[in-house]
Amino acid sequence: MTGIPAPVGPPGLSRRRLLGTALTSGAALLGAAALSGCGSAQASDASTVRLWDLFSGADGGLLNDMVRAARPDMPGTRIERTVLEWGTPYYTKLAMASAGGRGPEVAVAHMSRLASYAPTGLLDPWDLDVLAEYGVGRDDFADAVWARTQYRGHTYAVPLDTHPFIVFFHPEPAAKAGLLTPDGVLDTEAFSSPDRFLAAGRELAKASGRQGIAFGYVTDTAQGWRLFYGLYRQTGGAFDLPAGGPAEVDVDRMAEVIAFMAKLVDGRVNPKRLDYPAAIAAFANRQTAMILSGEWELGTFRTADKNVSAAPFPTVFGTPAVYADSHSFVLPRHPDPDPEHRRRTHRAVAALLKAGQIWATAGHIPAYGPVTRTCAYARLQPQAHYAKAQDHVVLDPSVWFAGAGSDFQNAMSQVLQQALLDGLAPDRAARAMVQRLNTFLSKPSPA
Amino acid sequence: MSSPQAAPRTGAPSGRRPVPPGLLFALPFLVLFAVFMLWPLGQGLWMSLTDTSLSAHSPGFVGVDNFTEALGDAAMWSSLGHTVWFTLISTVPLVLVALVLALLVHTGLPGQWVWRLAFFAPYLLPVGVVSLLWIWLYQPDLGLYNHLLHILGLEQVAWLSDESVAMWAIALTTLWWTVGFNFLLLLAALQSIPDHLYEAAAIDGAGAWRRLWSITLPQLARIGAVITVLQILASLKVFDQVYLMTKGGPNGSTRPVVEYIYDVGFTGYRLGYASAISYIFFALVLIASAVQYAALRRREK
Amino acid sequence: MTSTDLPLRTAPSRQSEVVVRELRPRQPGRRSRTNLTLGDSALARVLALAALVVMTVIWLLPMAWALLTAFKSETDASDPAHWFWPRHGFTFHGFSSVWQRGDLPLWMLNSLLVSAAVTVITVLVSAMAGYAFSRTRFTGRRALFALTVAAVLVPPQLMIVPWFRQMLTLHLVDTYAAVILPQTVAPVMVFILKKHFDSLPHELQEAARIDGAGHWRIFWSVLLPLSRPMLAAVSIFVFIGAWNNFLWPFVSTSDPALMTLPVGITSVKDAYGIQYAQTMASAVLAAVPLVVVFMFFQRHIVKSVATTGLGGQ
Repeated sequence: MTGIPAPVGPPGLSRRRLLGTALTSGAALLGAAALSGCGSAQASDASTVRLWDLFSGADGGLLNDMVRAARPDMPGTRIERTVLEWGTPYYTKLAMASAGGRGPEVAVAHMSRLASYAPTGLLDPWDLDVLAEYGVGRDDFADAVWARTQYRGHTYAVPLDTHPFIVFFHPEPAAKAGLLTPDGVLDTEAFSSPDRFLAAGRELAKASGRQGIAFGYVTDTAQGWRLFYGLYRQTGGAFDLPAGGPAEVDVDRMAEVIAFMAKLVDGRVNPKRLDYPAAIAAFANRQTAMILSGEWELGTFRTADKNVSAAPFPTVFGTPAVYADSHSFVLPRHPDPDPEHRRRTHRAVAALLKAGQIWATAGHIPAYGPVTRTCAYARLQPQAHYAKAQDHVVLDPSVWFAGAGSDFQNAMSQVLQQALLDGLAPDRAARAMVQRLNTFLSKPSPA
Repeated sequence: MSSPQAAPRTGAPSGRRPVPPGLLFALPFLVLFAVFMLWPLGQGLWMSLTDTSLSAHSPGFVGVDNFTEALGDAAMWSSLGHTVWFTLISTVPLVLVALVLALLVHTGLPGQWVWRLAFFAPYLLPVGVVSLLWIWLYQPDLGLYNHLLHILGLEQVAWLSDESVAMWAIALTTLWWTVGFNFLLLLAALQSIPDHLYEAAAIDGAGAWRRLWSITLPQLARIGAVITVLQILASLKVFDQVYLMTKGGPNGSTRPVVEYIYDVGFTGYRLGYASAISYIFFALVLIASAVQYAALRRREK
Repeated sequence: MTSTDLPLRTAPSRQSEVVVRELRPRQPGRRSRTNLTLGDSALARVLALAALVVMTVIWLLPMAWALLTAFKSETDASDPAHWFWPRHGFTFHGFSSVWQRGDLPLWMLNSLLVSAAVTVITVLVSAMAGYAFSRTRFTGRRALFALTVAAVLVPPQLMIVPWFRQMLTLHLVDTYAAVILPQTVAPVMVFILKKHFDSLPHELQEAARIDGAGHWRIFWSVLLPLSRPMLAAVSIFVFIGAWNNFLWPFVSTSDPALMTLPVGITSVKDAYGIQYAQTMASAVLAAVPLVVVFMFFQRHIVKSVATTGLGGQ
């Protein structure tokens, strides 16, 4: 039984009536407006290109600058940015918005995630003819990067940058350790085998008076995988992931790479148990002479040491390969895109690519060739040192479950952490990774 | 919205039986009910038997494959475990603390308005605000709680990034946020205990403690049981604050089953499989309700 | 968990005869509530008061901390050495920059619009259905009511996947209609209002019928005016629930222009990174509307929770 007081109360208290009337009348109006004009709020006017991205912090500010710099190249177009939370939530929202067909006109996505988008029909392909009209063509991009934009003969991504996993170093201890060529570039010969790499670490530790090489991976969801996969591809070992499994990989070479990584962080000349921020701090505070990290940390390091230098990740296992990913522009699916608006979107993206010099200051390698070929770019130090990394980039395996911010990277990194931190034997770690890989492969692809 | 006055004129041509007015009154609700409850329930059941995905491809019938996969899915079981664990560690304090607060306020001490405001106001905050606020309170270096611990000379706590602490931290947030609701219900129940019971007891010489144990608490037993049941059912559905504060982390150690459904369905695109897990969880909720209902009935007999 | 849907979706156990009366003012001339509960001991009063004060401080502390942070500058907010009192004094900068960014007012408007629409539709539709189940006779009435009561058991959390699929079919993803409509199906409100109409005297209806009033007149001009307190209670409850609802608005909208307050402030990030003072300023601004409403209408809201909170049991 409800405990409602006898409903025959005194005729409405004034406040109650006020509340009731206000709520009812106001809400009725609003409600009617809401239901009749469904979706009216997002029917942005034709001159606006809505862009979703995941850049906050320094990158976010630079993208704002780029939008400003790109304005002369896209007269009459306004770019409206929405910054969403990085990682899985971003990709989930992007997929849901694309499925709904009312997503933004253009969005930034990691190229490594394309395999989970393009085959699902959640993206629309770019029109290369329209891009060409605005001065952007296939030849403007490195082959290794461009190859990943394709799916079934269509182009689903326009690369904005490449962001490789590289090495940063402080020039003085590196020179003192005899690891620089006369013109100040890192002598990659000194890092060209696992033993030489470790020996170089010892020299760096000696020269810096503290420790050699920092690598932060503890509890990180990607770092272990980034280093591992780049090194593994240097061994030339196969890494084929057929749908349904099992994975065709070279377990021995995997174990070899893991063993090398474990020696690298054994705590003798290099710090042992660093998490990501601790590694950044260790290198920035000159506790170590070198760090293995993504180029996106350039801004942080330059604040601490304006002479900080960098090089592409050295070829340790014979075949040149540099782990990287690429931010790229994609077109979320629209069932009936307005051709004019699409054209405007193509033009806006072309304009942003041409403003890539600004993006390069963050450390990213602009994917658009005409930018990296300029003298202005060549003068950017140390960016110009590692621009060559573009030629040998390897991205995550092209399967639907891999890519930036994926469960897959996290799972692989967890196994690697057990090997590096908790002493799991390399061969057992390699087998554990294969096992996890096969679990992922056994799941049905959403495409 | 259809106007029930106008409807009969159009709805009943001569010769046919007119639509009964009662049905017309119920019609707006029944339409909404059919479209947004029955249809999705049916579609969900159908999807659970297919490999429907978020992508454009057409779904195929897979029989009970989704259900067999779910029953062998360790991630689903561990997320169910987290849900049950959260229900346990949130329900107990949410009922007990609410009871203590209600008893204290029920004493009629001055400041009623302030007490009610303090304990109930958090309940009015949107969960987005609650999680932003508590993420900030729990912030390891700058947050209030670690500073207070420091002042007390205690160890700092990695509230949301330590696997053994995170779920407790979320339960604590939930306690702060929603205890006011149970508090108000209990307070209302307390205030409906007739004064003459106390007066009679006082005349019999029962002291304050005695009156609490022999009058107040027994009078509250029934509503306390109902509130506990409601709380259990509410806690089983936890998602919002967990998703917003830890995304189910660290290392998946706080991910409840509703978040698993979200992850599988929308992050992993597998709407069919997510539907199957939804139905499995629905079945468990129904069983839990039935057990609690039976227990309540038995108590009352 | 949307905490507020807790009572909306639970099994009604009609057996329990809990009587929740309106919170009453103390009656003068009798032994006071305090005497009845605590006895005459002064010590007991002091202890109880102390306990209340301690609990209140604990409960208010998080909000006070949020306010303190919101009025700091960003530098002070992220300075562990001066974590409590800001070195550079207080500032409105956090509030003004959050407000100027413009999405917060928009999300508030969206929340108001969505909650108001949900409230009006839910209450009207449920009241009509409650009337039909309580005061009219038609074939299938009992079966339909039984179905409605059974649907109380369906948790909305489990509907997100089918609802989203349905919105894809209807081409409604990222529209207000998608956010609003599924929230308007509230079997428990139908149940509460049906029981309420059951409790009104039948004589009124008979008298009106003799005067020649049809069902609509009886419903609209006789029963609804009598039910104002109940309708207010239900409306407040539904409104709070919709205002704070997170999961479905979160799933059904990806476009920031359509987001409600709880979804927007947690999904959309600032291009300039984490700024604690601004985050807390936006939290404070987002908290203000309902807390202020509560201060003014405390009695109504308390009553609404007490009468509606148990799902009409």
